[in-house]
Amino acid sequence: MTGAGPIRDVLVVGGGLTAWCAAAALKRRAPFLDVTLLATPLAPDALADRIACTLPSLPGFQADLGIGVDDGVTRTGAGYRLGTRFVGWAEGLPDYVHAYGPYGHAIGPAAFHLHWVRAAHDGVARPFDSYSPAARIAREGRFVPPAPGSIFGAHDFGLTLDLTRHMAMIRAFALHIGVREMAGTVAEVRVDARGHIAALTTEQDRTLSADLFLDASGPAATLRSAIDDDRQDWSEWLPCDRVLLGTRVSGEGAPVLTDVTAHAAGWCWSSGEQVGLAYASQHLSDADAAAMLSRDGTAVDAPIAIRAGTRPQPWRGNCIAIGDAATQVEPLEWCNLHLALSAIDRLIAMLPDRAMAPVEAADFNRQTLAEAERVRDFLAAHYRTARRPEPMWQAVARAEPPASLAHTLSQFAERGRLPFYEEETFARDGWAAMLLGQGFLPRRVDPLVHGFPPHEVQAVMTRLSDAIAAALPQIPAHAEWRTGQMRRLAR
Amino acid sequence: MTQERVRVVIVGGGTAGWMAGAALARLLSGQCTVRLIESEAIGVVGVGEATLPHIRAFNERLGIPEAEFMARTRATFKLGIEFRDWGRIGDSYIHPFGTFGRGSGAIDFHHYWTRLAREGHELPPLDALSYACTLAREARFDHPVRDAGTLPSTFGYAYQFDALLFAPYLRGLAEEAGAMRTEGMVIDVERDGETGLVRAVVLADGERVEGDLFIDCSGFRSLLLGQTLEEPFEDWSKWLPTDRAVAMPCRTETAVTPYTSAIAMPAGWRWRIPLQHRTGNGYVYASDFIADADAARALEEAVEGEKLAEPRLLRFKAGRRRRSWVGNCVAIGLASGFLEPLESTSIYLAQQAITALIELFPDKRASASDRDEFNRIIDLEYDRIRDFLILHYHATTRDDSPFWNYVRTMEIPDSLGEKLDLWRRRARVVKYREGVFLDASWIAVYLGQGIVPEGWDPRADVAGTPELLRAVGDLRSEIASEVATRPDHRGFLERYCPMVDAA
Repeated sequence: MTGAGPIRDVLVVGGGLTAWCAAAALKRRAPFLDVTLLATPLAPDALADRIACTLPSLPGFQADLGIGVDDGVTRTGAGYRLGTRFVGWAEGLPDYVHAYGPYGHAIGPAAFHLHWVRAAHDGVARPFDSYSPAARIAREGRFVPPAPGSIFGAHDFGLTLDLTRHMAMIRAFALHIGVREMAGTVAEVRVDARGHIAALTTEQDRTLSADLFLDASGPAATLRSAIDDDRQDWSEWLPCDRVLLGTRVSGEGAPVLTDVTAHAAGWCWSSGEQVGLAYASQHLSDADAAAMLSRDGTAVDAPIAIRAGTRPQPWRGNCIAIGDAATQVEPLEWCNLHLALSAIDRLIAMLPDRAMAPVEAADFNRQTLAEAERVRDFLAAHYRTARRPEPMWQAVARAEPPASLAHTLSQFAERGRLPFYEEETFARDGWAAMLLGQGFLPRRVDPLVHGFPPHEVQAVMTRLSDAIAAALPQIPAHAEWRTGQMRRLAR
Repeated sequence: MTQERVRVVIVGGGTAGWMAGAALARLLSGQCTVRLIESEAIGVVGVGEATLPHIRAFNERLGIPEAEFMARTRATFKLGIEFRDWGRIGDSYIHPFGTFGRGSGAIDFHHYWTRLAREGHELPPLDALSYACTLAREARFDHPVRDAGTLPSTFGYAYQFDALLFAPYLRGLAEEAGAMRTEGMVIDVERDGETGLVRAVVLADGERVEGDLFIDCSGFRSLLLGQTLEEPFEDWSKWLPTDRAVAMPCRTETAVTPYTSAIAMPAGWRWRIPLQHRTGNGYVYASDFIADADAARALEEAVEGEKLAEPRLLRFKAGRRRRSWVGNCVAIGLASGFLEPLESTSIYLAQQAITALIELFPDKRASASDRDEFNRIIDLEYDRIRDFLILHYHATTRDDSPFWNYVRTMEIPDSLGEKLDLWRRRARVVKYREGVFLDASWIAVYLGQGIVPEGWDPRADVAGTPELLRAVGDLRSEIASEVATRPDHRGFLERYCPMVDAA
């Protein structure tokens, strides 16, 4: 039945970090493959390749390849990220932090956030993120990697990349382990009768063929779109259809906590050198957006158009779309590269043979779609539960959410429950931090909480918050930590 | 914030009823009052004697000390289930509550195994490459260790116990925590004319018991959910055609094995569950394929020791109520559905329903949101177990009886067809993070029933054959010598939790 034999060669097409990550991981973890990368010019709208902020999945992905913190963080000049601070998303409420770590700890059989909900109903809760050790470190601009056994033992960290240096590092690594690089631009993609890619021709007139094609070419999906262009549109729930990137030369080092500030027609962020503005073009013109971002001498790129949505079948035949070629979302919560890395990991665990059996592609697509849809839900929940008066915000808050998000929100609204979904990117505490931070307070206190007298729980919560405060001064400032790392390497 | 307590009425007091009663009374004592109605005139099914490892979490949550619980229910340890004669007559394999290989590494052990098998190498039996299976085969037991990466950390365990003693034990806990028991037979159910909600149940002696939340633990009768609320039953018998069981305990003549056995029979299968004081036996069969009397005779001939009771007949149908929670009525256990005990899932399903109910415990007026989430969780559990059970029947080469010919050739659900296809082609197990039977269980049954995949993860080709064969040999001897130092199961029981004499 599988007499087709193993795949031997893979062609990765793309010009950015996504493509190089894919090529490096395939060659490293499946060294029997011949991996060629057709380095096409970087697509300006490939957000996975262009956003400096990452989730904790990138350091993890690098570690799996054997790239440690020295090479994968310190030498590439990356900064550490512990989370995102949301400013202005819910009028009348203070900012809140979504940190990559636990918020409090379970008390008895009930999750911490359920206890917090009672304290909030009783009017005695401190902000939810004051119970998150990582959020507290981040708010003070400090950093430490997780130190098991201590109060700061359970967080993860993402990175703020120097994109040029980072891609150079991954590229050098990939070439070193045997990935072949070829420069060129795709001129034509030939699809055979079965819907498989037979070959592609470059503008340099070379014909390239492979058992498996990876399309990391960005939203244009040069290869994958030659087979079909089915997609699900998410723009109803994710209103920003433009992203503007800028470079702020006078920028200080990358902050450990990335600020994401809502404005009348979207949101803007600042991550050190890279700053950006995401907006809905219907509510803000490109010119006004550029004016907004360039205010303090920031050099602004051309606006990037994005169409929020996904291919329900990133894998068809012998071609797999990765990154923005598969799923496009605004960079809120920094998911673009994350989805790409996750798909690469999945592919390596599910390498096909030359038969390219549809049942295998279907299993890959099922998981990939489930993951993308939950990312969509998480992002859409920011909008659905935001509280701002402007027309864009009002319109998106009114849109009927997708069924899975509607379910999550109704469960949370009722009693703070966060139902389980397969392939969820963000932890329950992440969901809780965002929803509670935006003032989306459950109607009921969960009955399990009532088994514990409020004053006892209050004492536990106070102790926790105080313990974090007491331990904070020992944590180095982010810049200090980075300098220490560099000094160590220089020795 | 003070809250009015929710009045919970549990109808039926078998294993499910008292599990629910004990859990609610213990964990939500301030939030609800628990009243359980049972009648001594109604028998308890109580065949659910073998459990899954999840029960340990349940017991722990209720603060049940293991040794005491085992002594009181005359329990033994269970490391897995032995399947005999399933793939073909003469086969025997164990589905362990543990992994094959060392349970670590980037590529799962079964890919290497498949590769070596397909390359035609002589390999030790798969059981010898699993710590849990080997411990079981050797009839030894010791608790798992926590040290990840070591062989004795690669397994979990469950219990085999006397279900007729478990319910009274739980009743003690429940009553201690404030649950009230009422002896009586429900003869009528009162519903609200407008909302259709259950308002009260009326007992034979005329007493009327009001409640806010009704839990139907009435067993197969499904008194509230089925009979009163008429929730439709989704029938799965075309895939799981067994519909009767005859049960009969006997004296233990052979070993008190730390595992349950499921032995395939011409029209179904037979269970063997060794407890401290006796062995439970039963023949689960399809009445379309064998007469009751013949099934009873076959069971009597097969059991190992003197019989301790006359054969007892049970009737059932595979499937579930479309929804388990309707209005203010939640069915738990057999009242919500039935899957044959092939993989010991009955108590597990009751436990999951109770856990979900506790997490979604309603106000005095149940909300649609709680109900829908509960039903979503229960559906997922049933559907996944269903596919796993069907696999046991379908993955066979047996053609020695009309029953096996039917199940071997029947149409299977698409969801299972895809799983089988992925396994056959590439040794791939469809991944779930949540669900009762995860990778190792599927692998055990696939390989145990003779489906050796045609392909495997190509990354398993990187290592050289001699190197791999050596690693397999090393693993086998390491497991064997490790297991040899563990105590004998029976001896362990006698020291740890000797049974309490009959009252």
